[in-house]
Order: sequence, then structure tokens, then C-alpha cells
Amino acid sequence: MKLELYNRLMQMQASRRALLKGAAGAGAVAAFGSAGALGPLSPLTGKALAQDNLRAEILKIPGVGKGSPTDADWQKVGELCLGGTKETVKEGEFAGVELTFMGLNNQNLHNLLFRGFLKPWETYTGAKINWIDLAQADYNPRLQQSIATGTVDFDIIEMGAPFEGDTAGKGLLDEMPDWVKTLIDMDDYVNYLKPPVGTWDGKTYRITIDGDCHTFAYRTDYFGEGSISGMTDAPTTWDEVDEVTKKVKGQSDPLTGLDAYGFLDPLKGWGGFGFYFLEDRATAYAKHPDDPAWLFDPDTMKPRVNNPAFVRAIQDVMDLIAADVYPPDQINADPGTTAFQQFLAGTGSMICWWGDVGSNARTSDSSVIGDVVGFSINPGSKQVYNAKTSEWETPATPNFAPNMAYLGWGIYVTNRVSGDEKKRKAAWSAAAHLGGKDLSLWCAAYPSGFQPYRNSHFNIEEWVEAGYDSDFISDYLGSESESYNHPNAAIEPRIPGIFQYYSIAEDELAKGFAGQYKSAQETADAIAAAWEKITDEIGRENQIKLYKASLGM
Amino acid sequence: MTSSTPANAPLAFDRPVANATSQKMAGKLMIAAGSIIFVATLAFQILYASGVIESGFDTWLPVLYAYALWAASIIFGQVLVRGERGSRATFVLPAVFFTVALVVFPTIFGFYIAFTSWNLSSDAGRVFNGWDNLRALWNDPFFWNALGNMLYYGLMVLVEYAVAFGLAMILNSEIRARRFFRIVFLLPFMLSPVAVSWMVGKSIMENRFGPMARLARLLGWERPAFFSDPWIARLSIEVMDAWVFIPLMIILLLAGLQALPKEVLEASKVDGATPWQAFWRIIFPLMLPVSITTIIIRIIFKLKLADIVINVTAGGPGGATDTVSSFIYREYRDRSNVGYGTALAEFYLIAIIIFITVLLIAGRRLARRYGALPAVAES
Amino acid sequence: MTSYTSTLDSTPVHHGSRRAAFMATRVLIYGVLIFWAFICLFPIYWTFTTALKEAPDVMQGHLVPLVDFTPSWKGLRSLGLSPDTIFETSTVREEFLKRFTNSLWASLGGSFLALALGSLAGYGLARFPYRFGPMKNDDIGFFFISQLILPPVVLAMPFLVLYKELALLDSLPGLILVYTLMVLPIVIWIMRDQFHTIPVELEEAAFVDGLSIWGTFLRIVLPIALPGMVAAFILALVLSWNEYFFAALLTGANVQTLPVMVASQTGSQGISWWSMAALSAAAILPLIIVGILLERYIVQGLSTGAVK
Repeated sequence: MKLELYNRLMQMQASRRALLKGAAGAGAVAAFGSAGALGPLSPLTGKALAQDNLRAEILKIPGVGKGSPTDADWQKVGELCLGGTKETVKEGEFAGVELTFMGLNNQNLHNLLFRGFLKPWETYTGAKINWIDLAQADYNPRLQQSIATGTVDFDIIEMGAPFEGDTAGKGLLDEMPDWVKTLIDMDDYVNYLKPPVGTWDGKTYRITIDGDCHTFAYRTDYFGEGSISGMTDAPTTWDEVDEVTKKVKGQSDPLTGLDAYGFLDPLKGWGGFGFYFLEDRATAYAKHPDDPAWLFDPDTMKPRVNNPAFVRAIQDVMDLIAADVYPPDQINADPGTTAFQQFLAGTGSMICWWGDVGSNARTSDSSVIGDVVGFSINPGSKQVYNAKTSEWETPATPNFAPNMAYLGWGIYVTNRVSGDEKKRKAAWSAAAHLGGKDLSLWCAAYPSGFQPYRNSHFNIEEWVEAGYDSDFISDYLGSESESYNHPNAAIEPRIPGIFQYYSIAEDELAKGFAGQYKSAQETADAIAAAWEKITDEIGRENQIKLYKASLGM
Repeated sequence: MTSSTPANAPLAFDRPVANATSQKMAGKLMIAAGSIIFVATLAFQILYASGVIESGFDTWLPVLYAYALWAASIIFGQVLVRGERGSRATFVLPAVFFTVALVVFPTIFGFYIAFTSWNLSSDAGRVFNGWDNLRALWNDPFFWNALGNMLYYGLMVLVEYAVAFGLAMILNSEIRARRFFRIVFLLPFMLSPVAVSWMVGKSIMENRFGPMARLARLLGWERPAFFSDPWIARLSIEVMDAWVFIPLMIILLLAGLQALPKEVLEASKVDGATPWQAFWRIIFPLMLPVSITTIIIRIIFKLKLADIVINVTAGGPGGATDTVSSFIYREYRDRSNVGYGTALAEFYLIAIIIFITVLLIAGRRLARRYGALPAVAES
Repeated sequence: MTSYTSTLDSTPVHHGSRRAAFMATRVLIYGVLIFWAFICLFPIYWTFTTALKEAPDVMQGHLVPLVDFTPSWKGLRSLGLSPDTIFETSTVREEFLKRFTNSLWASLGGSFLALALGSLAGYGLARFPYRFGPMKNDDIGFFFISQLILPPVVLAMPFLVLYKELALLDSLPGLILVYTLMVLPIVIWIMRDQFHTIPVELEEAAFVDGLSIWGTFLRIVLPIALPGMVAAFILALVLSWNEYFFAALLTGANVQTLPVMVASQTGSQGISWWSMAALSAAAILPLIIVGILLERYIVQGLSTGAVK
């Protein structure tokens, strides 16, 4: 970027408040309508020119189609988005403060981005941040061990909402100060991420940096007139998905010329995350619109994972395995493999994944399918199981229940800083920088591991301006937005030890898929038995209470 | 402290120089002073930790220092007391004190945890549950499955040994560029198991574009998949593990070969034996002690095999490649089930200690029967 | 099979048919050598070249840089070590260098300490009969070796608690201590065998000359055992350099090591092959250099008996 342009941006950023307050703001928007936020999804109206310019500017770093951003880009974005920090913190105010940040190193994203983003913050404030990078598979054990042995050694932590039961529930977190709430504009969050998510006992703890739900991504070149699937449109129910999967077997992929495959189920678990992918299938059958609960019976914590709905989902996968329609070695494919080594690389035509597969399809170096990928909400089912009556029902239209898997990453501050006001302010300032409104737009648009989570992220014009194709981005953001706001969304329970449940489940599933159990029912029963044991170990009464609370019951 | 009686160590030969009485006294004083300081620090900190007294150290680090002081006082003190004989004990004592300091607590605490139900997410924390964990272990078919897999992995050590022996023999013969080959053969040992899992397991053995898959297709295997069929998956894991550790076996065996007395080998040639006979009659028996050491070291490393399995297959398909360590790892880390996980681990530990002891005794007998180079083979 | 051929080499050769057989075995021997060298080198070659690949090159399994793909600096850039980033401020490079230094100190520290303790213990066990209570030399030896047998998971939780109480968590001394403990058994094992092979007469002579036990050990025995110590040191270095479990468990922001960084390359977003490969290559490079420089000591060291 040119220096003078950069400097001008910095001045504009600094005077953002003044602009907002004055009539000049409105006038500027009127004058430069091109940058205005007029998309139907957007609640943004009448934002100041400076901010819009900033947003447009950061979206050009490094530019869509220019490959994955690098460390230099992250630092640039961090520098440009320092406005909020400069409003609230004096230069050099945190000199001498050292903070420890624990997060993931996920395919060189997450912490690596944070380091780049926070480098200018460190320079400006004078604070120093030390980093703990974890492999995602090590994350849960490391966190649990730290809590259980009283060895919490981090001040700021990147954490998913499912762990709030383990941390906030045990009083390990620091409550968010009010100035942070204003700074990060929490009203902008999409609905399902607003409280109770991020709060515990009425107190707010979380700066959201990611919104998570699974959506359905498919290859557009597999469908339409004369396509190898023979279907005009992409499937919308699991029956259709499985049918296509069987149908395309033995044909060749229109893009790569290699063997064509249908839906990719990750058949190997991975640190608990593998279970989400069975849930994708199961929620359509198991999440009844009249019942917020779907994993457990809320009154007894009796697992529903062995009810006919889940068993049917397991059976579906087993049928596909028996029909031999997966790529070779699929039994050894974990979630990351299916999305990034297979789907993005042109193997397989359908997948359920978090939203970042969408931005990755266009901007990641690993992707070859950028031009032929479409999105919708997770497939539904013609039948839905009613756990209360123990009967299958056939609603007028198929039952859809998008899986709000993981509820997104957030930044939390631990109570290690509670006693020291300067340190506390520094920790929250750093966290707020990462959860800033403008910075988050950049994260949503580029490979970062994070997906849109603010209403302001759904402004299609901004994305188009940045170089995204209009149809593509409408499709992608539309699937996200529809899932987030779906009335029958399957919300993940924020109960302690939730990943223990997932971990044993994916282990038993892997055994079931490898034929170690006689049937889908037997596999599901094994999971249910293990879950009952975990519930007893952790404490049934408490789990019931927290489960109900997390469902808003 | 289990080894608090090192002063008993009698030394076998030679004139123990009788020390002056004053020196003996000084030594005894030194030991006494060291012991008192250590015991006092320990007692003080225990009282503080249990809340009996108000002031104390923030951490137990001073106790560690006191322990080091105590160890030093014993080491030097007993030299003063027992002179030359004491000097001999100073060789082995530092290692003993060091090891004891670091393992005594973990061992005791580990055995205690094994008899508790301790789920890290549980509010109740550790709850003593007697033999429940062992009963659960007894009824856990997937633990026994993993133990069964260990048998297979263990037996594969013999194959690795045969390969390593052959390569060591070649390296020991008259060849050109010997140094080059020796360095090259050593290299795989230096790659970390994590890197091997990814670069070999998930890249070279990738079923679409990996070089192995392409080679397999070239050889007529149409849809190569290295981790789908239980036996092929087990073999793939074994191949990766062998790739890392065969170099270590080559080194140990090569060292053994080079230590063989040249005269014996010459004699065998004069004897007119065919090379095949010479190998089985002379080299192999002479190499037996080294071989046993090599195999036992290798088996010990094999019993800890985990990283590659965790990263590449997570024990799959359906537990076919699970090792005991990787199984415990999932129980322990993914599910935070520390009580049961530790019980499994302690059970495994006792099982392998018994196994290795038997192996060592058998090995020693075998080596003694051939009566060759007993030094190398002694446990 | 191979053993057969290798002993055949040195048999005298007289007749034509013998000569043909000799040539055949030569071909076979070099065939085996080259084949095995290929097996050893290919994955390492693959790692180094993957560090120069872009995603499509990885996905298509390209083999030879410049021939079937254009090398890219992507892998090195992810470490801040590519030509265009090496002089810029780079958060990734800072992090990498920190990890690298930590690994270096932890593994060197652990190996040296283990070598010091292990050589002493090895000498003691090889030369003097001990009796600690009911334990004799073999039992003491086994006590040490049993520490090698321990699967690390057994120690995980207890070690975490112990280190917390001792304030050794996330500290270099703490990591060094645990690495020492981990490699000490193998060092003792090797060193004891070493000292066994050194003729006892040397020490007896020195002893008669009036040297003390320690004087004999330091001035006479140690220099002879030096190659063996180098061998033990290298094994210890390799094992602790690549150690992952305890490094992940017992460290936080300060002393995380390279293997932890390698492992944390993986996640729900799959893997960046180029950076994983670049990191793995950077991690193995120091060991390769050590291997090339000190290789001859390894075998020579382990077989000192041959040079007596």
C-alpha cells in the first residue's frame, strides 16, 4: 500500500468519532453512495465514510484471488484496525505489561493471525504478549488439565462456547467491562450468538470472533442439465443426497477427470469434532420443531443418541459404506481431510462443513473448486422423529434443522488479571482488538478459520467490492444467514465435558463403521451407555440443570 | 525415600583405606546436618500445606533444593566416612538420587489415581473407587484388542531385526562409500514421529496422489488404500515405525559386529566352512548378546508406540491399529478420564515390567549358554 | 541372505566361475545398499521438496522441483525465512526462532546432564559391586531401565501436579530435568557396556601408581570412553529433540518446543503441507548436521571393544 494513502486512512480512522457525530457523516455517505451499505441483509445504514473506506481498504489486503494472506498482510490489517484501541488506550499505556495468550495454531491460522493483528497493538500500547499455540486435538485436554490441576497459565484464551460450562461455570473467567461492550458493538452479533451464548449467570464473558454452524456445500457442476448426477438441482434432503452419492459412483468428475464421488462423510473421528458430522445427518431426523432438546432428554439426561432418529442417521452412513461409494481410505478420513484434502481439491461433490469452506474455496491456495461451488443449509428429511411420542411424523414440508456446531470461537479473559486493573485493561483491549467490527469483516472474507458472525458481515456489496463474485457470495452468505436465523436450528448444549461425549461417540462410531458392532442400533447403544457413564461421573443433577439452561428452558 | 541406605554398599575388592576418626566424625556430621535440614524443610512445608502453620514457602521448590543438599551431604559424607569404598558409591549415587527425586512422587500419585474415578470435568474431583477401574478394564474388549495388537507389533520386531542385521552385515563388509551409506541409513531415526506421521503417513501414503499410491497403481493395485483394510493398515503403521527405528538397530548391531574378535572370523575361514555355515556357527552365536540387547531396546520402544498411530489412524479402522498407548491416550486426553486412563496405564506398566524382566532373564540365560561376550548382554 | 553375501566378500577368489559369483554378489550388495538408501532418503527428500511446493503441486504429487513444478517460497515464507520476508518484521519468524532456541537448550541441556549422570552410573555399575539393601548391580541397572519402559501417559497427570508444586511448569530447567530422566536409562545402558569393554588392567595400573578412583576415572577411563559418550549423547539428543508429549504437557508460552509447533500445524482446517514440510525440514536439519559430523563416533563408540 502506498504510504500517503495509508497515512490518510490513519487520520480518517482517528477522526471517525468526530465524523460520526457530525452531520458530515451523513453527507459523506450521500455523496459517496458507492460505499454505502444498502444490501437487503444489512442493518447498516448511514455509516461514516471513513469507516467504509477502511472496510473497503482492508478487504483489498491482499485481494481476492491473490492467494492466501501472509504475516505481512495480517500486520497491515491489524495496523489499520487499531482505531478502537487508539480511542480507548493512550500510546504506551501498557508499557511493562506481559500477557499470555492461549489459542490454536490451526493450519497456520488462528494464533498466527492474532500475532500479526496484535503486533501493531503491542507496538502502540507497549504491552507484550506471550503465546501458547496448541494443536486443535490438544486443546481440550490441555484446557481441562489446566483447570483440574489449577495450572491455568494464560490471561487471554481463544475458546469455543461449548467450553463455557467448564470455565465460566467454575468462576475462572473475568467479566467483560462495559467499555469493551461498546467498543466491539455487541448489538451487531447475529441473533443466535447473543446471550445466553457468551454469558453465564447473567454476566458477559465472551468477545465473539466467529460464528459457527454447518452448511451444505456442493459442486454445481455435478447438477443441472446433462450432469452426471442427472438431477437439475442440488439435493435438499438426505434421501436425495444418498441417492446422488450412489448414482455418481463409477463416473468421472467433470472438473478433475478423476473418479466422481458424492457426499463425503468423515468416517474417522478427530478430537471429538467428528461427531458433529453425524449430527448433521441426525438433526434432520431428530430435531423436532416443537422440542428444543435433541441430544438428551432434558429432564433425565437420558441420551437420545440411540433413538430411531440417530440410528437412522448411522444406518444411512453404514448403507453407503456397504454400497462402497466413498473414496478409498475414507474409513481413515477425518473431518479436516474431507473438507480440505478432498472437497477443496476436487474429490467428492457434497459436504457439510463450517462456513469457512466457502471463503476458502475462493481465497485458499489449496482450492481448485472456487468457480463450481454452491451452498445451502444442511439437507432436511421428509420425516422427523418426535421423541415425546416416540413416533415418526411426516410434516407437510421436509424438516430442516441446521446444526449450530461449536457456536464459534470467542476470546475470553481469565481471572488471573482480575486483581490488576492495568493488566486487566490491557487484556481486554487486546481481546477487543481481535473482536473488532472491521477486523472481523476481514477475517470473514479471507482464510482465517473464522466465518461471518455479525449482521454487518452480510453486506453483499462490500464483498463484491472486495472482488468476490456477486452470485457466489450471495449464495454463500445466504446459506449462512438462513442457518443462523433458522427457527428450528439445533443449538449445541454448553454443558461441562461436552467434548467427552463427542469423543467417545466418534470412537464408537468409528468402530461401528468398521464393522465391530453388529448393527447401527448396537453402535448407538454403545454410545448411549458411554454417555450415561460420563453423565454420572460429572454429576447428573448439575448436568440436567445446565442442559436446560443452555436450551433456554 | 527408598534408597536412604546407600551407606550399606560394601565394595568388593582392594584395601579400603581406613580414614582418620576425625574425618569419619565430620562425614557423619555432614550427613546428619543434611538430613536434618531436609527433614525439617519437608516437615515445615507439609505442615504449611496442610494448614497447621501459617507461614511457609509458596511452592515446594525449596524442598527440592533441600533434597539436593541432602543428597550432596550423603554423597560427600559417606566418602569421608568410608574412604575409598565411599568414593566408589559416588559414581552411582547421583543418578539414583536424581531418578528417585523425579519418579517417587509421580509413581505413588499415579498408583493412587489409578484407584479413583477422576473425570476432569466433574465437580466432585477425585473420588476413590477401589477396584472399579480394574473391573472396567477387565470388561473392556477394546483394551484387550489393543493389547492383542501389541503382540503383533512386538513380533514384528523380529522382522525388523532380520532386516537390520542384514544391512549391518553389508555395512560391515568391504564396500565403497561406506561412510555415505552409514550416514544415510541413520537418517530416518532423526525425523520426529509427528513429522513421519504427516509427511509419510498422510502425504506419501495418500491414496490419490501420494507416490506410494501411484507406485501401487503402477504395480496393478487399482484402488490403493493403505489404511482401510485392518491388516494392511496394521502393516502400514508397522512399516512407518520400522522405518524410524531400524536405523537404531543397525547401529547397535553394526557396533556389535565391529567388536567381534577378528581372529575368530579368520579361523572360521581357515576351517573351510561355507559363509552360510560360518554365519550360523560363528557370527550369529557371537552376536547373540548384542542381538538380545538390540531386540530388548527395540521392544521397549515398540511398547511405547503411540504418536504415529494417533496422528495417522487414531487407532482405526475399528481399533485394528490401536496400540495400548494410543488407546490410553484417547481415554486420558480426549475424554479427560484420568482415573480410568491411569489405571489402564499402570496395569500396562506392570504387565510390561514383568514381560521385560522375563525377557531379560531369558536373554541372559541364552547369552550365557553360548558364553560369548557376556558384558554386552547383561541387562 | 545378505549375511551370506557379506561374509563371502572376503573369501579368496581364484577361478572364473568364482569370479562370476563374486560379481553377482557385488551387484546384489550394491543393489540392496542403493535400494535401502532410497528408502531412507525418499521421505526426507519428499519433506524438503514439499516445503517448496504450492497446494496444486502437493495435490498432484509432483516429484522433482524445476522439472515438474516451479519451486515457491511459500513454505519458508510461513516461517518468515523466505528471501522476501527475511529482512522484514515477521511474527512467524520470531515465534519459530523462539521455539527453535527452546528446543536447542532443552535437548542439549537434557542430553549433557544425562550424559554426566549416566557415565558416572554406568562406570560404577560396570566396575564395582554394589548392594543397596536387597538390590544388587543388576537390580539397580533394572531400576534405571524400568524408567525407560514407563509409557509417558502414566506420568502425565502426576508430573503436571508435581511440576506445579515445584514451580517448574513452563520453565527450561523443568523441561531439561524431564528430558534427562527420559534419556538417562539409555545413556546408562550404553555407557555401562562401554566401560565393560575397557580392560580393567589399565585402571589397576593407574591405581597402583597412586591415582585415586576418581583420578583414574577422569584421566584414564574417560578419554578412552569418549567415542561411546558421543554415541550416547547423539541418541539422547535425537530422542529429546523430537520429544513431543511432555513438551506439550508441561510447557506454556515460554518454552514450547519445535515438535509442539510441528504438531500444532494440524487442525480442523486440514494442513498447510508447505509449512508443515518446511518446519519438519528445519527440525531435522540440525540433527542431520550432527549426524554427518559425528556419525563415525556413533558406531566406533558403541564398539570400542574392537579397538582395544
